[in-house]
Amino acid sequence: MAQVDRPKTLADKLMSVPRLALYITLMVVTTVMLFVNRPLPVKGSPSSVGAFSALMGLNEGTTIIIQSDWTTSTRGENAGQLEALVRLCMKRNIKFVFYSMVDPQAPQVARDVIMRINLERAGRGEREYRLWDDYLDLGYFPNAEGTANAMASNVREAWRGRTGPSPDGPRDVFQSPVLAHIRRIEDFPLMVIIHASAIINTVIERIPNVAKLSMCTGVQGPETLIYFASGQLVGVSVGLNGVVELEAMIELGTHPDGDDGRVRGGSTPIDGLGDGYARGMRYYLSLHAAMFLMILAVIIGNIGMVMARKAGGR
Amino acid sequence: VNLDSPYPLIKLTIAVIATFGLYSILYRETKFYRLFEHIFLGLAAGWAVVALWTAVLKELWWDRMIGVAAEGTPGTPDFQEAQPGHWLWAILLPVGLMGYFVFSRKHNWMSRIPIGIILGLWSGQQVQVWWTRYGPQIGNSLRPVIPTAWDSVLVPARVPLTEAQASAIAAAQNVSPDVVNQINQISATPPEAREALATQFGMTADQFIAIHTAATGAMRPTLLNNVYPVEAITNIIFIVTIVSVLSYFLFSFEIRNRLLGGMTVLGRWLLMVGFGAIFGSTVMTRFTLLIDRMSFVWLEWLRDTIIPAITRGPGGG
Repeated sequence: MAQVDRPKTLADKLMSVPRLALYITLMVVTTVMLFVNRPLPVKGSPSSVGAFSALMGLNEGTTIIIQSDWTTSTRGENAGQLEALVRLCMKRNIKFVFYSMVDPQAPQVARDVIMRINLERAGRGEREYRLWDDYLDLGYFPNAEGTANAMASNVREAWRGRTGPSPDGPRDVFQSPVLAHIRRIEDFPLMVIIHASAIINTVIERIPNVAKLSMCTGVQGPETLIYFASGQLVGVSVGLNGVVELEAMIELGTHPDGDDGRVRGGSTPIDGLGDGYARGMRYYLSLHAAMFLMILAVIIGNIGMVMARKAGGR
Repeated sequence: VNLDSPYPLIKLTIAVIATFGLYSILYRETKFYRLFEHIFLGLAAGWAVVALWTAVLKELWWDRMIGVAAEGTPGTPDFQEAQPGHWLWAILLPVGLMGYFVFSRKHNWMSRIPIGIILGLWSGQQVQVWWTRYGPQIGNSLRPVIPTAWDSVLVPARVPLTEAQASAIAAAQNVSPDVVNQINQISATPPEAREALATQFGMTADQFIAIHTAATGAMRPTLLNNVYPVEAITNIIFIVTIVSVLSYFLFSFEIRNRLLGGMTVLGRWLLMVGFGAIFGSTVMTRFTLLIDRMSFVWLEWLRDTIIPAITRGPGGG
């Protein structure tokens, strides 16, 4: 016997909104919000405040390690983190050396970010950071476990053979002003790991004697925050929220009470540096809109389900 | 974007087409999607092979084995000295190639040699590695659950200084301890208000900030050592979570005790809460990746590249 199609009820319609319509709505709403681009109020989480305080506690002219282990697939979160970090380093005249351990594509992505921030600074008439004098690019290291072990036991040996563009031609990176004073890994006051994978576990377990700070994707956040709670990381910036908090702190600074417009958190007041809002804050309103849409879709679906159950029970 | 050259424009436009090509999977799997999927995978694999040779094998193995010839003219900045080669590095090649005998039924025993070396090295590190990773977490899970400070339920922004602390700061700054205590009570010291705050105490802004910073440093250990009621409650929740979640994983015997049974059920619920938080965080990441792509397409490409290129016209004026 042929089955007769019964007309769709409102409950059926609420539970079966076409997938494509949801995707298009999401794309349109997030795009429109990108053009609105309005800074939102931010309250710094303890992990982000820890990250900012650690960076602001560095003395000018010191050298930190940046392990940049992300590629364009997580540009939405990790690019904002590296940009905020590089901006802060350049504003505070902190030298850095960067490398990657996870993906051979990662160093090029980091180079692009540094070039972009340098162009931004040049446009504002500020001093550009120079390769060799202000920062070093060590490229890619294979075998993360082996490299981390080697760095912990003898950083000069682990990075032996890597050269940089000195004014006198290619020279060993340890002849650069960036690394000239480095003898052991403990000579670095801070190591920042920007990652989209679980590489943080390898770094934590194999490089114990350096203060570490993580900037990770939202996916990695819950796993990484455990290390902050246990004191193995001095700070963590998680996902887009972390980027926004970092940008807000660069712009406004932190204060225990936050009653003067600055981001609340930390026990010691730290002034902001200005020009902090960037990629993170630009995406933040869109993220709120996307989350609102998702919650709305869940509510609509549940209303439909309740209506269908009531109708079925009659 | 440099609009004087067509290259950035072409590069960004291809990237935009690729973005839509990959997002077309949301409609259905088409040849358009498959084309960009294959291009993406091919590029990633090709890049990895080249990077592995240039950044790894050549520098760390090949050059050290065969040596590097001198480059450039001696005395000029570009001159690179010759490096001697050491043929002992050649031993690594057959050892590494032995790994491929895993595909041979007759000779696969040979693959166990490099695998054994790697496993041996890895195993030897595990005790230290495990303790470095989990030791601090185990130590941190021992938390106080009884409050030691009852003057505030929440953690206060500042706590009073002891007499000795106030006197020490007062002596160093040449002011009275009362002034130090009054300054210590001020939590907000925005840059624009420092001058006015300092005037209230009859001192310069620099001296005011020096006293405030010294007081903050002195009272901070007290603040960190005190356990306030809200912290004690947080610690109790933390410890109950650890114990109940661990009890959920007791599979070696049948659980008949009602208390332990209740703990395992609580553990399962708390695990679900944790997984929910992880899922929420993952969803935010996915949304952010979409927002970034939309930003690339509509802001970086359309607004900042295409519209200026059209506005300038073919003459570039």
